[in-house]
Amino acid sequence: MLRFLSGAVLRLAALMLMVSFAGAMLMRIAPGFTSDDQELNPTLSAQSIQAIRQARLADANIPRFYAQYLVSLAKGDFGTSSSLNQPVKELLRERLPVTLSNLAFALAIGWLLGLALAIATQVLHWRAFSFLANGLSGTFISTPAAALALIFLLLRLPPAFAAALLVFPKIYRYTENLLQQSAEMPHVLTARAKGAGPLRVLAWHVAPIALPQLIALVGVSISIGIGVLLPIEVISDVAGIGQLAWQAAEARDLPLLINLTMIVTFVTVCATLISDGAQRGFTRSEA
Amino acid sequence: MKAVRFIAIAVLLITAFVVLFANYLAPAGYEQQFRDLPQAGPSLHHPLGTDDLGRDCWARLLFGMRVSLTLAPLAAFFTTVLAGLVGGIAGYCGGWIERCCKLLIDFFLSVPWLFLLITVRAVLPLNISPQASVTVTFILLGLLGWAASARIICSGAKDLMKSEFVWMARAAGFSGFKLIRLHLLPNLKGALFAQFWISIPVFIIAEANLGALGLGVAEPLPSLGSLLRELQDAITLRLEPWRLLPLAVLIVVISSFQVLLNKQEVRV
Amino acid sequence: MRRLHLLSAMLLLGCTTLLAQAGGELRFCLRAEPKTFNPLLVEDDASETIRYLTGGVLVRINRITLKPQPELASEWKVSEGGKHIRFKLREGLKYSDGTPFSAADVAYTMSQLMDPALHSSTGDAFRSGEGKVETRVISPSVVEISFPAPVANLVDLFDTVAIMSAKSPQKEMAALGPFYVAERKAGSYILLKRNPYYWKKDSTGKQLPYLDSVRLEIEQNPEIEAMRYKRGEVQLINTVSPAIFEKLSSDSASVRDAGASTDTEQLWFNQVPSAPIPAYKLAWFTSTNFRRAISEAINRADLARIVYHGHAAPAIGIVSPSNKFWFNSNLKPHPYDTASALHRLQQDGFRLQGDTLRDKSGNAVEFSVVTNAGNRSRESMATMIQEDLKKIGIKVNVVALDFNSLLERMTQSFNYEACLLGLQNVDLDPNAQMAVWLSSADNHQWNPRQKSPATAWEAEIDKLMKAQASSGDEHKRKQYWDRVQQIAWDQEPFIYLINKDALVAISPEVKNSEPSVFRPQTFWNVETLALAKAR
Repeated sequence: MLRFLSGAVLRLAALMLMVSFAGAMLMRIAPGFTSDDQELNPTLSAQSIQAIRQARLADANIPRFYAQYLVSLAKGDFGTSSSLNQPVKELLRERLPVTLSNLAFALAIGWLLGLALAIATQVLHWRAFSFLANGLSGTFISTPAAALALIFLLLRLPPAFAAALLVFPKIYRYTENLLQQSAEMPHVLTARAKGAGPLRVLAWHVAPIALPQLIALVGVSISIGIGVLLPIEVISDVAGIGQLAWQAAEARDLPLLINLTMIVTFVTVCATLISDGAQRGFTRSEA
Repeated sequence: MKAVRFIAIAVLLITAFVVLFANYLAPAGYEQQFRDLPQAGPSLHHPLGTDDLGRDCWARLLFGMRVSLTLAPLAAFFTTVLAGLVGGIAGYCGGWIERCCKLLIDFFLSVPWLFLLITVRAVLPLNISPQASVTVTFILLGLLGWAASARIICSGAKDLMKSEFVWMARAAGFSGFKLIRLHLLPNLKGALFAQFWISIPVFIIAEANLGALGLGVAEPLPSLGSLLRELQDAITLRLEPWRLLPLAVLIVVISSFQVLLNKQEVRV
Repeated sequence: MRRLHLLSAMLLLGCTTLLAQAGGELRFCLRAEPKTFNPLLVEDDASETIRYLTGGVLVRINRITLKPQPELASEWKVSEGGKHIRFKLREGLKYSDGTPFSAADVAYTMSQLMDPALHSSTGDAFRSGEGKVETRVISPSVVEISFPAPVANLVDLFDTVAIMSAKSPQKEMAALGPFYVAERKAGSYILLKRNPYYWKKDSTGKQLPYLDSVRLEIEQNPEIEAMRYKRGEVQLINTVSPAIFEKLSSDSASVRDAGASTDTEQLWFNQVPSAPIPAYKLAWFTSTNFRRAISEAINRADLARIVYHGHAAPAIGIVSPSNKFWFNSNLKPHPYDTASALHRLQQDGFRLQGDTLRDKSGNAVEFSVVTNAGNRSRESMATMIQEDLKKIGIKVNVVALDFNSLLERMTQSFNYEACLLGLQNVDLDPNAQMAVWLSSADNHQWNPRQKSPATAWEAEIDKLMKAQASSGDEHKRKQYWDRVQQIAWDQEPFIYLINKDALVAISPEVKNSEPSVFRPQTFWNVETLALAKAR
């Protein structure tokens, strides 16, 4: 256990560093890093424009910037957002709870809906129900986040609902396929032949086979949830980290981007580590 | 269920026909601007009306379907192959190889690839054709979007490696590629298919969202994604039902794919 | 009985007026988070809104008459053609925290503003030449500012200089304007409350502003902003897109087209000699005939009608006709004439072969037009131009890029062929466009930072711009600027496309509103705005 935990922590730290550095490098090599829209202001003098360009170039050496950032981070200083002129720590303190609560809500509803539909499809074996469930998940997976977010705004419902409806189709699809595959295993067929009811077959024979992959899906669903929620936050103008991420990308705001990347990496990797750990625990106890 | 599969096949055949013969089925070119009729409603000459610039919406839908329904499955194929490869190798090999693969998966899941896409666009010539530009975009999406499902494939593969029939196959001397091909892949088909068909609409919509950054399809070429972007106006500005048709088409096509890719139901 | 009716009517009217002027909270949206609360460092729209609502200025330009009005300064005197200005300040004024206002605050503000390390457009507008700006406090209510060289349009420039307190512990947050920043939630809203020490009173002696507070919601999405306006959650929209305008006007009568704004949308070709584009293309772009032909092949009327739903007019030149004094009224709109366009091209050796136009070397005429992604109007205009130029055999590739990438191409790598962008003309004075028309300037977009003018007409423009900047005679300046407009019209380094109208939305419950085409369109007279029902 200790070995697993220490390995997990090392992996988490390594990934956070690698990913944030890679993100910073990608931002640096992407065109527009040294550009500032103030340069187009015709009332600025040539010296001012030059000063603006020099200020942008100051952060151009990414390894040096990154090293300085890590030193500051060790002292608790997350840097200052160049586009918003505010300490990143303050921005995160205000916005992270909003995103995390929306994410938790979206995942809870998404999983509830996805699991319920998948289980119902398996247990009931009604063609009509299966068709409707497929149609519903197909509808939401094909609907752009922007459109769904706007519909929910019109209906004065929280945008997290829209995120939930975009997460559930993937949960439903994978779960339904997993349960279906597991239901075709020989021992399941045997149980059915011996007269076990659908719920008993599902609980005792199908679920244990599907469970490891479902646990893996939990970790993945968190990154799916973040991937879906962030654009919804941008579109719905929710003051979460989605808005900040878009701002950082548009304005090439390096301090903000590095911090946000670290946070997203932390959440994603923690989720996968937890699901890995749970899987290990499950398979060990099974053995 | 047979009737449903029949309908699904018919829908996909019609879609394929429409995609192949869009040039003949469209009443006008997708780029032709009828400037006297911007935002017109449905009529004999324009079955789905016209868009903001007076372009025939039916023509744009037909050509948009051609672009998206050709390229999105291609991107989805790349994603599925990569997910199967990385996830399968990780699950099959285990140990440090699995750990490295998972590290790579987490890395791919977390890096903001947006800037890579912006860089690629910058590197492409400005006078590249809209078709080439959108093809490059979809290929990139396909090459970057595999990480989420690779995890699930890895978990599935690991599980299969502990199953009795795989033990028996290994005892019989099967190993390496033969084991993967004959025993792992067939049992991972469900997850791979799920990944494939989920990816198609995801990539269509991702291409549309990238349009906001100049990475999507270039004017005047339409794509289903760029038509879906116009849904925002349909919702907030003018609720004209015919403007929802691109969304309806996408839903019907994806659902048809799903019906065909689903296994037969187990009958007791 | 009649007297009773009259008395009742008067009472009712009085009550209604009182009700209309009794407090309440005005709500509207900012499209982005303000980047700064320091009034001297304002560069973005959101920060400018905060500055306008909270900053006390010496002089305010009336957005309807365009005449300077006394504010913190009750009178002023300009001497030596704009080299010196003396202000007589109102006495007994206080900042929002009670700190007294005096000439020392003006001196402090000017010293901060003119600090060479500051790099702000507000300060740069005053930089007329080498040398220091001196501010002399003659008495607590008289201050004189001296510049190294005459500053054109000097008085009007003080409209953007919010006077900061030298002594207040709140620093830049101490306000002399009608409101002060009371509360702020990042990403969500900013609440401004009435400044209890605001010096202005209305004609009846009632202290202004009428409103108790102004709530600025951060809302980036214009469709959501429109939705909120329809629901009554906000009462103003300062800039409405044409599509949203049409939607709102069909639902209610609370939108207004204030008339032609001073903003322009233009297309230009890259004429930078070192640009990484083929030499034959550079030859096309540097040809006046080529540019004039492209201009004549573009159907501006269609752009105005279709993209802007009729809420725009074909542009004539640099200056919008709404800028009545500075507009050269001798200029006529460029014609839409494809035959004339082809004729011009033939003069340069171009020939139409089938559907393709080729130059004298046989190269097919094809170029890309870059514009900023996400701006639907510009993308639509580029697509329409693509279709227009197809009629004369030219292939145009529309490339929408994210803004920073576009900027990098325009200003650093010069890796583009043609660009479609717009210019927001906040300052009507031609001096504000020095950095556009001087060939050595950074914003001389088609060929910036020239060591010496590349063409005779650019050399002439340089001379004219410098002449108007150093002249104190407004009519002489007008003559110089008219000539610049004529040259720009003839040479078309910028192909001006349209002047869009200022479209605003003002809820019927907002009283005393008088929308202007000049920023800030709906709330330039915020201190006299009132709500019909106090919230």
